[in-house]
Amino acid sequence: MFANYLIGLREGLEAALVVGILVAYLVKSGSARLVYRVWLGVAAAIAVSLAAGAALTFGPQGLSFEAQEAIGGVASIVAVGFVTWMIFWMARTSRLLRGDLENRVDRAAGRGWWSLGLLSFLAVGREGLETALFLWSATEATGSTTHPLVGAVLGLLTATALGVLIYRGAIKLDLRRFFTATGGLLVIVAAGVLSYGFHDLQEAGLLPGLSTLAFDVSATIPPGSWYGTFLKGTFNFSPRTTWLEVSAWLAYVIPVLVLFVRGARPVKTSTAPIPARVT
Amino acid sequence: MRSLTTPLVLVAMLLAACTSNHAPDTITVRSTDHTCEVAPDRAPGGHLVFDVTNAGTEVTEFYLLAEDGVQIIGEVENIGPGLTRSLVVEADPGSYVAACKPGMTGDGIRTIFTVGDSG
Repeated sequence: MFANYLIGLREGLEAALVVGILVAYLVKSGSARLVYRVWLGVAAAIAVSLAAGAALTFGPQGLSFEAQEAIGGVASIVAVGFVTWMIFWMARTSRLLRGDLENRVDRAAGRGWWSLGLLSFLAVGREGLETALFLWSATEATGSTTHPLVGAVLGLLTATALGVLIYRGAIKLDLRRFFTATGGLLVIVAAGVLSYGFHDLQEAGLLPGLSTLAFDVSATIPPGSWYGTFLKGTFNFSPRTTWLEVSAWLAYVIPVLVLFVRGARPVKTSTAPIPARVT
Repeated sequence: MRSLTTPLVLVAMLLAACTSNHAPDTITVRSTDHTCEVAPDRAPGGHLVFDVTNAGTEVTEFYLLAEDGVQIIGEVENIGPGLTRSLVVEADPGSYVAACKPGMTGDGIRTIFTVGDSG
């Protein structure tokens, strides 16, 4: 049961982290009334994944390997785009720590009413199909043993609980530390998703270098261990990583962190009176 | 009303990616912590379905690799203990390598798999 538990945990961790941070951010910036959009996105992702997974498992049609890898690779890259947008959105609004914050956040979040829902949909749905296929196969197995399904569900519940803990911890931070911590964390998470997307494309044969490893620490960090599970679930860390994955990771982290740190610097507030409009 | 083109195109592409879950001869793979039994170890070319059962204690994966043992023709991951998952793949006649990877690591337990001319 433990092995299936770890799969459930791993599959749920990244989504729980991103959604936890997103909800904490909305609450912290006074936009709690928008949180329902996040839940709509999460619910939609779960429903679509389970439905698609069921159709593919029990129906007459399945997905070819190439299609699965292509979907996974594209979904990952799109998700990275959205999380990056989220990081900079947070960095932009963190500059307005004094005064205007609520107003600006409302306008930013309100503009494109679908963007919050889409972001959480992507965070949960990116790996949603693969997780759904795994859950349905565990459901099929209940004819002979319920352990896999129980383990998997417990794993997902644990991931959800950890997301709640992240939320609780995050909202306690003062605004500056909150933005720095959550923003920095999201950059590392997004970089992991990007390099994982590259790996998917390498497996599909669309990118080269599948066997050109930068490192292989599988002996020290077995993928099936609890720490291996955590590292994979949060940062998409693979004990066997190719050079292309490392390059993608660095090519993302370095410029984005630089831009994030620059963007998060507070605006210098002037003490001079704002000139009246000349009519 | 927003344009429906993008969603429609995506749905069309998705439908094109669908393939049958069934084949006249499904290949049964039994993966344990130390063995990888592929029965039968040959099939006629074309549409192949592998039903992989994990009879071991570690999470396993199943790969169908090209003759060089590196290029991935198809794979199915996250096969937890006690679960059965399927790999659906199109394969031309030739020699392949079937690999089970209990523990999701290393080169796995490999055997030769032969795809003959389509019946």
